[in-house]
Amino acid sequence: MTETLRLSWHVVVRNWTVYKKDFFANISPTLADPSLIMVSLGLGLGSLIQDINGRTYLEFMAPGLVATTALFTSFFESSYGFYVRMTYESIFKAMLTTPVGASEVVIGEYMWNFIKGSLMAFGVTLVLCAFRLVPHYWVLPVATLLGGLISIPCAALGLLASSYIHNINQFQTVYSFLIAPMYFLSGVFFPIEPMPELFRWAIQISPFAHGVRLMQLLFWGELTLQTVLWHGGMLVAFGIALSYWSNIRIRKKLIA
Amino acid sequence: MKVIEARGVKKSFGSFHALQGVDLTVNAGECVGLLGPNGAGKSTFIGVVYGVTDRTEGTITTFGHDPRSSSREIKRRLGVVPQESALDEALTVVENMRLFGRFVTLPQAQVDKRIDELLVYMSLDHKKDAPIRTLSGGMKRRLAFVRALLAEPELLILDEPTTGLDPAVRHLLWQKVTDLKKKGKTILITTHYMHEAEVLCDRIVILNQGKIIDEGSPRNLIERHAPGYVAIYDSSHPSVSQLRERAPAHWAIYPQQSNLCIRAPTLSELVELQKSEATEPLLLRPSNLEDVYLKLTGEELTQND
Repeated sequence: MTETLRLSWHVVVRNWTVYKKDFFANISPTLADPSLIMVSLGLGLGSLIQDINGRTYLEFMAPGLVATTALFTSFFESSYGFYVRMTYESIFKAMLTTPVGASEVVIGEYMWNFIKGSLMAFGVTLVLCAFRLVPHYWVLPVATLLGGLISIPCAALGLLASSYIHNINQFQTVYSFLIAPMYFLSGVFFPIEPMPELFRWAIQISPFAHGVRLMQLLFWGELTLQTVLWHGGMLVAFGIALSYWSNIRIRKKLIA
Repeated sequence: MKVIEARGVKKSFGSFHALQGVDLTVNAGECVGLLGPNGAGKSTFIGVVYGVTDRTEGTITTFGHDPRSSSREIKRRLGVVPQESALDEALTVVENMRLFGRFVTLPQAQVDKRIDELLVYMSLDHKKDAPIRTLSGGMKRRLAFVRALLAEPELLILDEPTTGLDPAVRHLLWQKVTDLKKKGKTILITTHYMHEAEVLCDRIVILNQGKIIDEGSPRNLIERHAPGYVAIYDSSHPSVSQLRERAPAHWAIYPQQSNLCIRAPTLSELVELQKSEATEPLLLRPSNLEDVYLKLTGEELTQND
């Protein structure tokens, strides 16, 4: 087991070594996009919106953006990123000639997504600090960890997509019909409570929605044991189920 | 000692049967060449040896371990030069090798020393800090050799190691493989180049459509299947049809592109025939592994075809 973790960690080191080569190009969209949304939607559109439960629109939207960063970071890393590594760069073909096996590749990719999702959530939370939207100092480490947690089911969706598609353009379909709806409908931009009951129920099948909710409650200082257990439990359950499924699928891709 | 022992190995991909019952033993210190046309099952077999391809039927052990359940133990003891070099294009030569050093679990201090030695060995030391994308195809291939040799493997698997390389690099790699053979490494090699197989291999295994159709030393295969000498004529030459008629029935006569090949048991008989028709062949040579290969894989057509 320790050997598995050690070998998986080398997969993380490999991804990090490549990632840091082009660090600023890699990290800038992750930080620039939320800032842009903060200004255009938060300040711009937000000026037309009345308070939401006593919060400005900017305050309402901010936590969702941290969760969104984790979603996009991990989905794109495990879809386009992973697929290119697997198909075009044949990285795993070379790796699998060493003691690294398919399980280590998959575990390593999850570790990498967790770390990357955490770091990006940390970065965006820092940006939010500049906007004075982070109420307590301890929100920063917890939001970082939560970012990592949100990354797991989202990375699983990317890996699953990688295992099912036949060419790289098909990720666009996955994005349009799965990721974009999750992004727009999971309560980042509008509160879910006033929506019809059917919608409120349906959105529970989005792991991302649970992540967004937890992030909001964290930022707003409204976490309770019950909400942590429900949303946290759902997030973890989705994470376990989807990563289990993706592991089976990716193994079949790597071991013919 | 048997390094690889395969019995009745079959592998199917859906309705395609890539391997249809392969029995093959590779002994320690031996250099075995797998020859066969594209799609014959060479790379599939190699994948089965170290567990990246899961066999459908049969048994196989590598270093006494079943690759299905103990591929990690097997992979600790082998180095592979895969068909695509599969290097990280964004990284430099030394960065690539250091990462690989981690995968093969070499201590960092040892890995740097080993990389330096091997880069010198493969004449790549001047490219140590060059990004992979700036290397030529031949350099990438040599680097794939460095990578395969990092952990001092006992078994070296070379999957079409010189395909697409210029003759100078090919000869350099042949020399290195010969070196490694002398050092006692066991080598399993796939190739399309008959000359390569003849130069490097102690034993040649010819695969076609997932089955072994024959095996033996290069010399032995030539003696059994295509002994003698081959004269190659331009088919468009007017006297070629007379040559065909005059040649005894037991000689092999077969077209090769726009040429006609005639193989006779002895050189003097060929020369005799030539004199009688006063036609100069384009080439007159001893038969080689290519003749065996073409005959066995059915790509040679005889007079009756």
